[in-house]
Amino acid sequence: MAGQSDSTMSLFSSEEIEFMAEDEMTEIVPNLRMDSLNFICGDYGPFLPQLAAQVPLWLALALKKRGKCTIRLPPWMSVENLTRVLEAERDSHAFQPLPFHYVEISRLLFDHAREDIPDMYMVRSLIEDIRDVRFHKVETNLEKFTASTVTWKNMSAMEVNVIRAFAGRALQAFYKHDNEQQTPDTDRAMDKQPQIPTDRPKRNLKPR
Amino acid sequence: MANYYDIDGILMEEEFVPVVFQKAINGVNIDESTEKGCVEQGSKTELPFWLAHELHMRQAVSISVPTCFNQKTRLEIQADAACVDLRSRCPYFYEFGCKLAPLCDKSIGLLLSYAFQIRYKEVLHKAHTTAFAAASKFLMLLTKEETYLYEAAQSSMLAFKKWRMGGPRLQRASILGRKRKPAE
Repeated sequence: MAGQSDSTMSLFSSEEIEFMAEDEMTEIVPNLRMDSLNFICGDYGPFLPQLAAQVPLWLALALKKRGKCTIRLPPWMSVENLTRVLEAERDSHAFQPLPFHYVEISRLLFDHAREDIPDMYMVRSLIEDIRDVRFHKVETNLEKFTASTVTWKNMSAMEVNVIRAFAGRALQAFYKHDNEQQTPDTDRAMDKQPQIPTDRPKRNLKPR
Repeated sequence: MANYYDIDGILMEEEFVPVVFQKAINGVNIDESTEKGCVEQGSKTELPFWLAHELHMRQAVSISVPTCFNQKTRLEIQADAACVDLRSRCPYFYEFGCKLAPLCDKSIGLLLSYAFQIRYKEVLHKAHTTAFAAASKFLMLLTKEETYLYEAAQSSMLAFKKWRMGGPRLQRASILGRKRKPAE
């Protein structure tokens, strides 16, 4: 999957990440009666009006677009929780636990399920703020890293993807320079060996 | 760098290094003005790295430190690595240094990793914050490797911003846009 959109860099595009995020489960409240749906990824339903059901986000959005359901806001997207997370993000150096695909899920919900989100503008600006704070944290972390082990917990898919190309290259360079110092190039020493200089006396050619 | 066809690897080996001949060599001229058809022992010249390296393996030449790793550059890098114009000195500063370090001066390795650590931070800051127009002056100072880094960061950031802004989700097939030619 990686590199479908960009063969040279083996990266995910943002659209691909979004596609993966659509597999996350969401709770919907259908307003129609429908038998259960049997897919390769699993069986969902049966759907009864006003009875909540768990479906993947892509199915939820498809039903939503046709006006067949309302999407229940995931608990982490409540204003109280987001305010708490934002404060915690500002206070500590660690990343707060949020869903791995929080950027994509929130964007999809803002785009397609506006009317199901109470305090839509508040939620949106909170998530924007959280993302900015977290991205700034990523940058300060990047500043510190060297070729030693890097452990950052709770980074989300989109955050990882934005720095993937840069961090990969930088780590490679760090690794190269660190190794260069410790082992002075073993393979060069190897190819030196077979060529023992033969010190034959040389005839001086006549100048032409 | 392991790739045989890597264009950067090839260009990097074209960099000149100063060498001193340890042996007299017949049949070649390094200087057109001399009458003799040979190179004398102890004569100095500059050769591209690929040639100097081969000759060095046969112990025909000794390689000395090229200008981009001389004392002056070292002092500048120690003073403020981020502002040194490495591109004009040697666009393949790091790769060239890595190849050269075991051949003439081991301390180049240290210099490289020091310079990279400082300059990396600068690239990081500029890549994620500065607008492209403002960064062009800064880009002039970067080596090839640093430019790649910078571009990698910029392009993924741009792609993310584009995704966040949204825009047309469905792309129109190019063939659909064409208008039929009016029949005359």
